[in-house]
Amino acid sequence: MRAAWAITSTTVKQLLGVRRMIVFGLAELAPAGVFLLMTQTLAQEAALDRLLGMVAALYFPLLVPIVTLIVAASALGDERRDGTLSFLVLRPIPRSVIALSKFGGAVIVAAGLNIFGAVALTVVYGIESGSWSLVVPLAVGGAFASIVYTSLFVPLGFFTDRAVLAGLAFVFIFENAVVSALSGLSSLSPWRIGLSAFAGLAPGEVKAELAEFGGASLSSFGASLFWTFLIAVLSIGATTMVLRRRDLA
Amino acid sequence: MTTNPALVESPTVELDDASKWFGQKVAVSNVTCSFGPGVTGLLGPNGAGKTTMLRMLTGLIRPSQGSVRVLGVWPRTSPSVYTDVGLVPEEAAVYPSLTAREYVRYAATLSGVADVDEATARAIDTVALVEPADRKLAGYSKGMRQRAKVAAALVSDPQILLLDEPLNGTDPVQRLHLISLFQRLGAEGRTVIVSSHILDEVDRMSDRVIAIVDGRLAAAGDVAAIREAMTDIPYRVRIESDSTRVLAARLLEEALVHGVSVDDGILHVETGDLAALGLRVPVVAREVDARITSFQPEDASLESVFRYLVRR
Repeated sequence: MRAAWAITSTTVKQLLGVRRMIVFGLAELAPAGVFLLMTQTLAQEAALDRLLGMVAALYFPLLVPIVTLIVAASALGDERRDGTLSFLVLRPIPRSVIALSKFGGAVIVAAGLNIFGAVALTVVYGIESGSWSLVVPLAVGGAFASIVYTSLFVPLGFFTDRAVLAGLAFVFIFENAVVSALSGLSSLSPWRIGLSAFAGLAPGEVKAELAEFGGASLSSFGASLFWTFLIAVLSIGATTMVLRRRDLA
Repeated sequence: MTTNPALVESPTVELDDASKWFGQKVAVSNVTCSFGPGVTGLLGPNGAGKTTMLRMLTGLIRPSQGSVRVLGVWPRTSPSVYTDVGLVPEEAAVYPSLTAREYVRYAATLSGVADVDEATARAIDTVALVEPADRKLAGYSKGMRQRAKVAAALVSDPQILLLDEPLNGTDPVQRLHLISLFQRLGAEGRTVIVSSHILDEVDRMSDRVIAIVDGRLAAAGDVAAIREAMTDIPYRVRIESDSTRVLAARLLEEALVHGVSVDDGILHVETGDLAALGLRVPVVAREVDARITSFQPEDASLESVFRYLVRR
């Protein structure tokens, strides 16, 4: 337990560089900023429509995957590149603890950033509309999407130096092109899992409104929870197996 | 009682016919050797396979063929053995965002050390890094980082210490300090394996040498024993005398002398039996009325031995 906490907290510290926090912090404020800008130019459009536009077109499909990709790919990838992986694996601790702790550290940072963005957006929306009911659902949706993306990108960062490129290809080609065309694959799309969790917790009218933003194929909150949990467990298991079997230098 | 100089009586680390290849490239080839208490130098030119061998010993990479055992087990499947193993890798392997104290403390925590603070302070003190211990490793020189890595390796008080080029980047004072530290750890009965391509370093700190050339075990034992085993290569002796040419001519008549040369007034003699030559030269010198002022084997040093090994 002590070792797991030490790895998790060190991972968080590694991933929270000052420059990175400034850049990502500003990026996370972008949806809220755009929402405010639209208040000036598209005042006639309903606040909820503008919010859902931000959520379904900017926050989930772009911001969450890109921020999480960069954070999660570094969690194990930087250790491998910097030669510090030997520091971790040559210790009397099971490889599963390393995999779980690195995953945990990456989730804390990625989800923390994405929740910050979600809260900023829904607070701006709340100030304008007087409704605060979307703060928690969007934060939870952002957290779910962050967990699923982290599950994919932590092992990816370990496998390849081009994790960011491969991750972007996954997001833009697979998720935003292939899955958009084949809605049956939507349960394999992390941001759609997050969007489903958001829709599942949000008031009924939000779910109905989301249909206009391509949310017709969204699953239930329970299904989102199941997929998030399953993908995270599979990812930790796969990372553990790789750490056990693969040559690490 | 083993007669193979590559093997030791009470091994803590063993390689049995171990090979490692990466695609077509053979990095280590059929190496059988063992290591026990004391300092063993793993010697070889750059690219000889020393780092690959050390990585196999730690379980970081698995042998393509043969086996590796540390305290009787293959470490990859028995991670508990890492309580007794410390590695100082050649590459950077430090976290720049941590201070040296945090780094060593992190190592202590992961190694399951009971009193983390005490062990951290002791390890930092051992490598004489107390004063800058609370500065970030990003600002450390290479030599200071090396010492921080040594402290992290020592913090769990390991029985086996594997050091890959540990003196790289250290200044002469740090170098002396680390060499005497490794010698002390070896004298305490720990297995200390030091890889280096710098002959002088290995010569100064090792009781025993394992020489690796092109991934193969080229020689093992202490330097004198390795040199003695090279029966196909004559010894060279440098003799200074007041009658060099006369002495050279007379020595050529001796059966044990393979050849002589005179260079800048210095006589160089080649022989297959160094001890016999040592006894014979004073006798011959008396016969020709020459006075010997210096008699020095030229190639009994580790450097000469190693030069021969690489040339073979």
